[in-house]
Formats: sequence, structure tokens, C-alpha cells
Amino acid sequence: MPSQAKINFQKIVEIIGENGFILIFIIWVVLLSSTTSTFLNSNNIFTVLRQAAIVSIIAIGEMLIMLLGGMDVSLAAVLGFSGIIAASLMVNYNVPPELAGLVCILIGGLIGFINGILVTIVRINAVIATLGMMNVLNGMALAYTQGKTIVGPQLDQIAFLSRGYIGAIPFPVILMFVFYIVFYIILNKTVFGAHIYAIGNNDKASWLAGIKVDRMKILAFTVAGFLAGFSGLLQASRQGSATSSMGNEFLFPILTGVILGGISLSGGRGRIQNTLIACIFLMTITNGMVLLGISLYVQGIVSGLILIVALSLDRLRYRRR
Amino acid sequence: MKADNILSLSKLHRSFPGVKALDDVSFEIPRGTVHALVGANGAGKSTLIKILSGALAPDSGQIIFEDKVYFPSHPSAAIKLGVSTIYQELNLLPSRTVIANINIGKEPNRFGFLDDRSAREKAEKVLGQLNSAGIPLNAFVGDLKVSEKQIVEIAKALIGQCKLLIMDEPTAALNEVEINALFKIIKDLKTEGVTILYVSHRLKEIFELADNVTVLRDGKHVRTLPVSQVTPDSLINDMIGRKILGVFPSKNNELGDELFRVEQLTSSNIFKNVSFSAQRGEVVAITGLAGSGKVELGKALIGDWPVETGQIFLQGKKFKPDPSRAKSARFGYMPEDRKKEGVLEELPVRRNISLPSLSEISRILGFILFNKETEMAQREVDELDIKTPSLMQLVRNLSGGNQQKVSLAKWLATGSKILLLIEPTQGIDVGVKFEIYKLIHKLSSQGATIILVSSEISEILGLAHQIVVLHNGEVQAILNGDHTNEEEILQFTFGQKKEKSK
Repeated sequence: MPSQAKINFQKIVEIIGENGFILIFIIWVVLLSSTTSTFLNSNNIFTVLRQAAIVSIIAIGEMLIMLLGGMDVSLAAVLGFSGIIAASLMVNYNVPPELAGLVCILIGGLIGFINGILVTIVRINAVIATLGMMNVLNGMALAYTQGKTIVGPQLDQIAFLSRGYIGAIPFPVILMFVFYIVFYIILNKTVFGAHIYAIGNNDKASWLAGIKVDRMKILAFTVAGFLAGFSGLLQASRQGSATSSMGNEFLFPILTGVILGGISLSGGRGRIQNTLIACIFLMTITNGMVLLGISLYVQGIVSGLILIVALSLDRLRYRRR
Repeated sequence: MKADNILSLSKLHRSFPGVKALDDVSFEIPRGTVHALVGANGAGKSTLIKILSGALAPDSGQIIFEDKVYFPSHPSAAIKLGVSTIYQELNLLPSRTVIANINIGKEPNRFGFLDDRSAREKAEKVLGQLNSAGIPLNAFVGDLKVSEKQIVEIAKALIGQCKLLIMDEPTAALNEVEINALFKIIKDLKTEGVTILYVSHRLKEIFELADNVTVLRDGKHVRTLPVSQVTPDSLINDMIGRKILGVFPSKNNELGDELFRVEQLTSSNIFKNVSFSAQRGEVVAITGLAGSGKVELGKALIGDWPVETGQIFLQGKKFKPDPSRAKSARFGYMPEDRKKEGVLEELPVRRNISLPSLSEISRILGFILFNKETEMAQREVDELDIKTPSLMQLVRNLSGGNQQKVSLAKWLATGSKILLLIEPTQGIDVGVKFEIYKLIHKLSSQGATIILVSSEISEILGLAHQIVVLHNGEVQAILNGDHTNEEEILQFTFGQKKEKSK
């Protein structure tokens, strides 16, 4: 029965496509553990996880949008912009950190909301709309800082967010796991999550089934904005400063992490836990290359290649039958 | 004397899963004539056109065109051989000029460089030949009127040395003056020796234009006769034939008060001033030919088609059409295209059924009660006898009929008071059809109002209390389902008759 064999082949591709990166992840970890003495110790592991924290928290927002079949390329810029606002409020205006943090998160949410409106009501392609937003935000960040670094002792007040520990565990790592548990529950146990998956699967049919599709999309962009705003605060805390380019390093890892983790580019499919694993994997790669003494230039090439591989896996996995 | 036939078809067969679209069709078309092709929806006209234009291959049978075996592998091959087709949805490039469109694929050139002057001359000449020199050569086709676009299509075909021109419902979007102009062009083409296969629902045009007429019914060739030997009534009879009707359950006769009313609903030139009302427990059918506006009217009732003027009332309250508001009012909708609009193929049966009810089976903060969801889905799967190995089976793995049942089940699960069904039995086998009929009957007996948009006259007659017949977007008649028959409905759908009342 040739058709049977074909179905099985497709199934194998799907399983490998969905979980294959976990296998590569394990191989990579084994490789690093055996060739370096510095990789497998709790210090380095927590370093990796702490680096993964910010990327993976923003990736939740990106994942929500991509589950709906959209994409947001402005989230890294939102991080940078809101991080600058928070730092500037504290350093230049002596605003208390709680208030500065709140403003920072709200600005992120507002930008996400605007993105959502552009994509739903105005009906601009999501990538293009957020690409425009990215440039606007980067430009405003540069104009505001005049390319200078915002730094001051006031920023020590938020140091705990990214540099603190609870017991032996870095605080951002705890934050990361809490966020993932909460969003795991939201996506898998609630009506909100069910609607996200339904819309990503087929937005016309979902709309006809009475789901408020546009409202859900705007909500997803807004939540992504909140998370990116919060990540701006985390990054300012981690650096102890803010610069107009502070978001740049996140642009690729966010998209790569979500796609590698198996969120289908066409929406509707993928698991949140895989996004987390993929984000940690990405950080392990960077970390490992540093440990192995591979040059920074090569690292750029590798991260580009990983994105391309992730995209190819996505196509293979969800190829229409 | 042997007849000079440009085209002869013998024993053509073509099947699609579950349907014989063409079943042993043979007939001839004499050279230089206008040959009409008629038939009800699903008679096989489109399939035949697609085969002749090279878009589909027959399963078996032979076509002789110009004394040679004709077997185009592709639409462009058909055009090269001299067979051009003008579809209802015209096939032009809106953002290119008239000249470019007319010369497309045969652009005059010198060593690959376009020869604009000779392209222009060619376009001028062919439009002159069509008495349509008034069409601006440099205008973008997208800016032309439909009638002008059609002439551009004809010009394009003539440039391609077309010998057989197939026209599918060419007058559907034209007004009276434009139709007359088109007829003149067709008659001129005929005197120049072009043979025309003319497909139309409008019987009047056939008598005005055609030399011969072929009737298809359920994929079979009924007869081919000179137009002088047929009458509108005989054509309609040939199109209906004597169908074996299934046994429909007797209609529910306990109607309640009015639940749904439509007043003067209008959507530019798609449908105009449509009014009707429906009581509790009533089945109201909306019917008409393809292009009559019946499907668009159905979609407009739920908010999936824009409406300019007119109002809809649900239980006496004004209803602004929108699927989400409809859901809250327990107004369910089963769309025509179930794969694209009716089901979520990559989600399991359970979620497909529970989707509109999720907020009712969840706790505070929207936590879904999965056991209630399972219970609900299982109840509908049993009730509708949906064949699925498990509730977690993805809907894409179900058969068409079972997908259709899933599409309906979600609205039964919400306890809909009104159900709008568009072509609910299209493309599904007879067994499932009758299950759906029984279901419609049962729901109406329980007091639900059903609005059934359908082109299947037998199911309309078997189910509906009231039949709204549309022709060119206008209500021709509102018939009592118990006091009408297939012939009368068809006469109204073909616009042969119009009700005097109102």
C-alpha cells in the first residue's frame, strides 16, 4: 500500500520536524559537556538560563501572534524603546522604580495595541506594519538618547530583577518559568487559548462561528507589547544602563526561537513548552561557541543558518497534503 | 450529404468523487452556427466547458475538432488550436491597457523587443471589426465597463485565430442595451464563420440567437435539436426530467409566531429589495440560478456580505448582521464552503463542535470544563451519527458528509433557534443528504426556524413551507411550498414568469 507508506513518511517528518531540534539540542549538550570542562556546571547553566530569560519572555508574545498567523518584528525595538523610557525616568527625573516600571510596561502595551489596530482595522500586512513600527521606535530611541548611554546609580534600584537570586536560583530564571507556566495554562486550559488556536487554524471559519477575531488579534498584539515592555525593564536592569541599540540583539533570537520551537508560520499549531526549550537551546549555542572559542563573526553566520533551518523545518512539517 | 461539423463529441465521460459530472455525452456542432448549451445547476455544463477549453481532461471519450482528434493538454493549447473560452468571471489583466490585453501571449515583436505600433494597429483593426472602435486603446482594462471588457475578451480571442468561441453566461452582468450590442457582435462573428457555443440560463436569448440547442441533465445528454423545434416549456421539461424523489418526512405544521423578518434588503446590483419573514418552526427556502444572488443574500443575513439598505429583525428587534451577535441571539450558520468556512480542519471533532459554546462550558477566568466539552461533543456525535473513530480525531480526516455534520453539530450544541443553511447537501452522498433532511425536519418540529438557501429543487419542495425565488437579484415570487411544483419554480428562476402581487 503505497499511500499508507506515504502517510507514515509524512508522520515521521512531522515528528522529527516538531521535536527534532530537541534531539540536536541533546547532542549539542553532550558534545559541549565532553569537550569543555566549563559547560556543565551550575554556574554556567544558570548563566545560560539567565540569558535565555529575556528572549523567552518576549518569545511568549511573539508566539501568541504567530499562533494567530501573524508576526511582529517590532518587539525587540519595543524592548529598547521602553527600556530607555524606564531608565530615563529613573535617572533623569528620579521617578520611583515602581512607577517607571509601570510606565515602561504600559508603553509597550500601547505600542502593541497600535500594531494590533494597524493589522486588524487598517488591514496592513503584519510584517510590514511592525517593520514600520520598528523603524519608528528605533528612530525615536536614537533621537531621544542622541546615541548616548543612560546610566546612573538610580538603576541599581532595579538590579534585583535581572541580577538577583532567590536561594541559588537567579530571579529572572524564576520569572521565566512563572511566565511559561501561566501562559501554558492560558493557552491549554482556557477559552482565550482555545480561541487563539481556532483563529490561527482558520480565521474565517472562526469568525463565522461567532468568535471576535479582530478583538483577539488586537489583544494578542497588546499582550506581546506588555511582555516586550517588561523585557525592556529586565534588560535595563541586566545592563545597569540603557542605550538606543539595547534591543537589537533580540530581533533574531525571538523569531528563531519561536519558529524553531515549532510554531507554524501559518498559525494554529505549536506548543508553548517547545518555544521555551528552543530559546534555551539558542542560548546554549551562543554560550557553547564562546566556550569553544569560536569567533564572533562565525557566530553571526551560525545564527543565520539556524533561522533558515528552522524555517525549512516549518515548511517540511506543515507541508499541505 | 454529410454535415460539416466543426466539433463532435462522442461518449465523453468525466467523474469526480461521488458524482458523474459527464456521463456518456455525444453531440455535434455544425460549423458557423450559434449552438446553445443549457441545463440546470449540476447538469455538467461547466465540466464540459472546462474540457473543451483544456482545463480538464475527460476520463474517456473522444473529441473531433476540425476533423482532427482534439486533446488539449492545457488552456493555452486549446487557444492555439482555435478554441477560446470567455468565462463569466472575465480573464483579463485589469492594470494593463486594452492593447496589451488584446495582444497578450502573441505580442508582436522584433527580436524580442515589443513592437508597439503593430500591437496598436492589430488592436485597432480587431476592435473595428467588432464595431467597437469607441473603446479607448490605452485605457486600463480595470477601468472599463463590464460590457467593454467582454468585447476586449472577444477581440483577444479573434487575434488568436479563434474558430470556436465558447461563451459562458456572457449577459449575466449586462444591461439591455449592452446585451443587444453583444448579440449584434455574435451575429457578425457568425457570418464571418466563427462558431459559437453559447451557455446561458436565459431562455429568451437562446431563442433569439441560437441555431441549435443541446440540453444536459445530471451529466447526461438529453437531446440536441434545432431551436425552431423547441419551446421554452419543452426546454424546461428536458432540464428537469423525471427525478426520483426521495421520501421526505411530512412538514411540521405547527408554526409559531414570527421570529425573523427581512425588509427591503439591497446590496448594489447583487440583490434588490428582498423582503420575507419566517415563523417559529418554519422552513423558508431561498432559491434561484447561479448568479441570482441567492448565496450572497444568505451570506448577508449573517453579516458575511455587505448590505446597503434594508433591515433585518430577529424576534421583533433590529438585528445588525454579524456572526458574533448572531451567536448570542442563537442564530447559527452553516456556510456553503464547509472546508474553508464551516470547520476547522486541523482541530479535533470535539473542539469543532464545542467552539461556539466554549464560554458556556467554562468556569470563572475562562477555564474550560473539559468533561462538559466531551459530553457535549459526544451527545452531538451520537445524535447526528457522525462517523469518527474518536472525539479527538482531526476533522480533516473525516469524509465530506461527516464534516458537513460537524459543521452543523456546533450550532445544534448551542441550541440554535434559527439556522441558516447554504447548500447544505451540495457534494455529499444521497444517504447523508436524507439524514440532513430528517434533521432539518426534526429541528423545525422542535420550533426552530430554518432558512435554507439551495438550488436543489427537490429538497426545497420536500422541506420548505415558503419558497423565495430570486432572479437577477430580484424576488420573482414567494411560493407556498405545498402549492407549487418543480416546473413553476423553474419558470420563476428562469425569469419566465413574475408574480403580479405586491
